[in-house]
Amino acid sequence: MTQSAVYVYGVALPGCKPISTRGVEASRVRALEHAGLTALVSDIGAEQLAAAREVRAHWRVLDEASESCTILPVRFGTVMESEEAVRVTLLEPNGERLKALLRELDGRVQLVLKGDYDEPQLMRDVVRQSAAVAELRDRLRAVPAEAGYYDRIRLGELVADHVAHRRAEDTRIALETLEPLSVAAREEQIGQSDAAFNLAFLVDRDGLERFNQGVRKLAGELGERIALRYVGPLPPYSFADVELDTEAAAWA
Amino acid sequence: MAVAATPRGYIERPRPSGLADVIDVILDKGLVIDAYVRVSLIGIEILTIDARIVIASVDTYLRFAEAVNRLDIAHDDTTHGLPELMESITESGSSGKTKGVLEGAKESLFGGDDDNDDDDDKQQSQSRSRSRSRASSRSGSSSSRSRSGSSSSRSSRSRKKSS
Repeated sequence: MTQSAVYVYGVALPGCKPISTRGVEASRVRALEHAGLTALVSDIGAEQLAAAREVRAHWRVLDEASESCTILPVRFGTVMESEEAVRVTLLEPNGERLKALLRELDGRVQLVLKGDYDEPQLMRDVVRQSAAVAELRDRLRAVPAEAGYYDRIRLGELVADHVAHRRAEDTRIALETLEPLSVAAREEQIGQSDAAFNLAFLVDRDGLERFNQGVRKLAGELGERIALRYVGPLPPYSFADVELDTEAAAWA
Repeated sequence: MAVAATPRGYIERPRPSGLADVIDVILDKGLVIDAYVRVSLIGIEILTIDARIVIASVDTYLRFAEAVNRLDIAHDDTTHGLPELMESITESGSSGKTKGVLEGAKESLFGGDDDNDDDDDKQQSQSRSRSRSRASSRSGSSSSRSRSGSSSSRSSRSRKKSS
């Protein structure tokens, strides 16, 4: 990689305030305006980024940008050959699509709501509700672990079915309350086996208060069983999840 | 950066110290300009793989089996039996800690938008001392994973995912 490569943070319509926070590799972030769009970029020299620090830099740049304008985050770790490449292969050919997306997201932010079960409590509920689980468990307790290997897998499978069912139901409850208060909602992949749901919402800035009340209401309904992590407002990461065509002009 | 919550949840507004809770969003979402993704990222592969291994696997089944088996034997056992997963270790810290602060939710979420980021470090240590345990322990384990993680190329990962 040459020293002239640029790291790309995101794309916005012109009018973002200058970014004061330092970007990846502590470089200055600048706005590259072209074809009626602005790309936030900075110079990058290293071939490898140390993830923990640079993820934070990426995040902070977008966080600051989103305070003054609507920005489409580019996926973390995206480096382009040069400013010219940003202009000619990112902004120009995708201009209409990006502008349409930006208009759609204008004045809107993302909120993330994750729910996590308390695993022992969840397991107790499953055993209470399922005679099959309770019975198989009791039977397996009398058997040495090695001997009961396939039965243990079977038991775990039964439990997993119940947990999946519970997840679907709790996701439905959450969406029923919050989807009407949002412009769009997405179910994201859950991250661990005691997770209940992982939801992303696109919300109008001036609808935040109502959405927040919805989350509180939901917390009242689910709070005994599910720990909620509610994070936002964020730039619309989940709603900028678009793959652009750049089949031409990859690096030689 | 206050924390507000249900009896056993918490709600927060993300400054950089809230990054642990949205790291999956940041790593996985956004415009993809695939041909140009060339930077390799130390440790990132590990973080994102972790988020994918839990769904249906024999390992998951065995863990669930173990979890139901353990119920009566160790009733108040706070360890989760999911040592592989970075997010599972801190339940005891987050439960029961946050009762009664629900009213702070609005301010902590939507107030302070124009805060300067200069006080990140302070915020971070504050949130630690509140034992918002999930977030802080997760970021802790993330960085240790990063160090031990293999480096792998970003582009191969995005290909894999889009297929």
